[in-house]
Amino acid sequence: MAHARGAVRTQKYAIAIPARFQYGPARSGRGAAVARKNKRLGIARYWPRFFLVIPFLLVAWVPFYNRLEPELGGVPFFYWYQLGAIIVGAGVALTVYWLERRITRTTGRTAEELDSSGTPGDIL
Amino acid sequence: MSLNLPATGVFVALFLFVTWVGFIAARWRKADLNVLHEWGLGGRRFGTVVTWFLLGGDLYTAYTFIAVPALVFGAGAVGFFAVPYTIMIYPILYLVFPRLWAIARERGHVTAADFVRERFDSRLLALAVALTGIVATMPYIALQLVGMEVVIGALGFPAGGFIGHLPLIIAFVILAAFTYTSGLRAPALIAVVKDMLIFVTIFAALVIIPAKLGGYGAIFANVPQAKLTLAPPSGESLGNYSAYFTLALGSALALFLYPHSMTGILSASSGKVIRRNAAALSAYSFVLGLIALLGYMAIAAGVDKSPAHAAGFAQYGANFAVPALFLDMFPSWFVGVAFAAIAIGALVPAAIMSIACANLFTRNLYKEFLRPDCTDAEEARMAKIVSLVVKVGAVVFIVAIPHSYAIHLQLLGGIWIIQLLPPILLGLFTRAFNAHALLLGWAAGTAMGTYMAATRGFVSSIYPLEIFGLTIPGYAALYSVLVNFLVAVALTPVLDRLVRRGGTA
Repeated sequence: MAHARGAVRTQKYAIAIPARFQYGPARSGRGAAVARKNKRLGIARYWPRFFLVIPFLLVAWVPFYNRLEPELGGVPFFYWYQLGAIIVGAGVALTVYWLERRITRTTGRTAEELDSSGTPGDIL
Repeated sequence: MSLNLPATGVFVALFLFVTWVGFIAARWRKADLNVLHEWGLGGRRFGTVVTWFLLGGDLYTAYTFIAVPALVFGAGAVGFFAVPYTIMIYPILYLVFPRLWAIARERGHVTAADFVRERFDSRLLALAVALTGIVATMPYIALQLVGMEVVIGALGFPAGGFIGHLPLIIAFVILAAFTYTSGLRAPALIAVVKDMLIFVTIFAALVIIPAKLGGYGAIFANVPQAKLTLAPPSGESLGNYSAYFTLALGSALALFLYPHSMTGILSASSGKVIRRNAAALSAYSFVLGLIALLGYMAIAAGVDKSPAHAAGFAQYGANFAVPALFLDMFPSWFVGVAFAAIAIGALVPAAIMSIACANLFTRNLYKEFLRPDCTDAEEARMAKIVSLVVKVGAVVFIVAIPHSYAIHLQLLGGIWIIQLLPPILLGLFTRAFNAHALLLGWAAGTAMGTYMAATRGFVSSIYPLEIFGLTIPGYAALYSVLVNFLVAVALTPVLDRLVRRGGTA
C-alpha cells in the first residue's frame, strides 16, 4: 500500500510528467481523507519525533563530559560517556520508530503516508 | 621494509574474492542495468539489512578508519569529535531523509539536484547543487586512495615511483571494471564482506591488544594526561569547547548532503528501511569510537618509537599509527585480514562516490543542458562512462599531486557541501524560499566558508569568530552556512517582488 494518494505512477521514472500535474494533494479517494486528517492533526502527529533532540542534548554541553573522573574499568569519563551516548542515541531512535509504528497502526495510516503527507507540501 | 609475505598472501586472496563478488553482483536481483536507476540506485530495492551494510560501508570509510585514530594518536581528545558527530547524524537521518526518499521515489529523482530542479523550478540552482556535489566528492574519492596506500605501504610494498603506485592503480582498475558492469549492486554486496572483516578485526583488536598492553587502565595511564581531555578555554574565548561541538554538529549536518550518502539513502526500498537504519547504523558509530581508541593503544604500545616503523611514519605520518599497531600486535596472516578490511573499506565508498558523481553529471548536466532528449539507455551508458572518468581523475590526483592538497580540498569540500542545506534539507519542508535567494545564499556561504578556511591556510577548518570581544572558535562550515541561510531569508521577500516565482504547486 505504497500509494494511497491516487497520484499518477509511472513505471519508468524517465517519463516526464508536465509540472502542473505533479504536485498537490489528492482531491478525492482515501488519500484525500488521510490528507485532511493529517492537516487537522498538524505537527502534533509527529510528537514522538521530539525525543530525537535527546542525542543532541547529550553531547551539546562539552564541559559536562570533558573530565577524567569517574573512570569505568580504567576508561576515563570523557570516553565511556560518549560511547554510552551512542547507545542511548540508538535507543532513542528505536523508541521513536516503535512509537510511530504504533500510531500508524492504530490510525490505519502507513509509514509512507507519514513521510510524504500529500507530497512535498509545506509542513513548516 | 621488506614484503610481509603471509599478510600479503591473505590480503591479495581477499581482494580477489571481493573482485569476484563485484562482478557477480550484476546478476544479483537481476534487472536491466541499462536504465540509470537500476545501475545507479540498485533499482531502489535494498531492504533494511542490505541498506545497513551499504550505508555503513559508505559513511564509515577507509579514510575514517585511518584518519580518526591518527588524529587521536597525534592530537588526543579532540579526535574523539567523530563520536558526537556520529551521534547527531541519526536524528537528522530519521527526520529528513524518509521524506526525501518518498518524494524521489514518486517523482523518479535519482539525485538531490533532481529534487531541487523540480522543487524550485530552477535549472541554475540545480546546477549549483550538482556542481557542488561533484567538486566536494572528488577529493573524498582521492582520500580513499590515501587510506588504501597506507596499508599497501605497510605490507612492505616499495613506496614511490611508478612501481610504488602500481598496486593502487591495479586496485582502481578492478574497482572501475566492476562498478561499470554492476553499478551500485557491486558496492552493496562487497560492503557485506567489508563490514564483516572490519567487525572481526576490531573485535580481535579489542581483545588482543589490551591483553598485551595490560588492560585499558594501563593503556590510558600511558597516554600523556594533557591529551586525555580537551584543554579548558582560557580568557575571553570558548576555546576547544565550541570548536569540538561545532565541528561535530557541522560535520553531522553536512554528511547526508554528500552525493554518496544520498545515493545510499535513495537506493533503500522504503522510508521504513531508512528509519530502522537510523537506529541500527549506530552500531558502526560504536565501532568507530572503539577504532578511535586504537590511537591511544598505538601511543601506549610506543609504535612511533620502534625503529621498524620509522620509515612508515616518515612516509605517512600519524596515519601509519594503526597499521603499525596491527603489525606489532597481530600474527602476520591476520594483519592481512585487517589490512584487507581497510583496503576493501576504501573500495566501497569510492565506488558509491563515483556512481553518485556519475548520476549527478548525467542527470543534471548532460541531460539537463546537453542532451535533453537522450534515451534511458543513453543516459545509463553516459553515467557508466563518467564513473570511469571520475576514478581515473582520482588516481591521477593521488599519483601526481601531493596528498596534502587532497586533504585540504576535502576540508574545503565539507564547507562547500554544507551550503546545500537550505535548498535540500529546508527545501524538503518549506517552499518559502525564493530560488534566486537560495542561489545567492549558496554563493555567499561558499565564498565566506572558503575565505574562513583561507585565513587558516587551509590546514584547519576552525575559524575564531569574534563577537563583542568574545572569541568563539568554531567549524567554518557551520558559520558559513549560517551566512548562507541569513542571505536566503533576507533576499527571499525582495526577490519575490522582482522576479515572478516558478516552482511547483
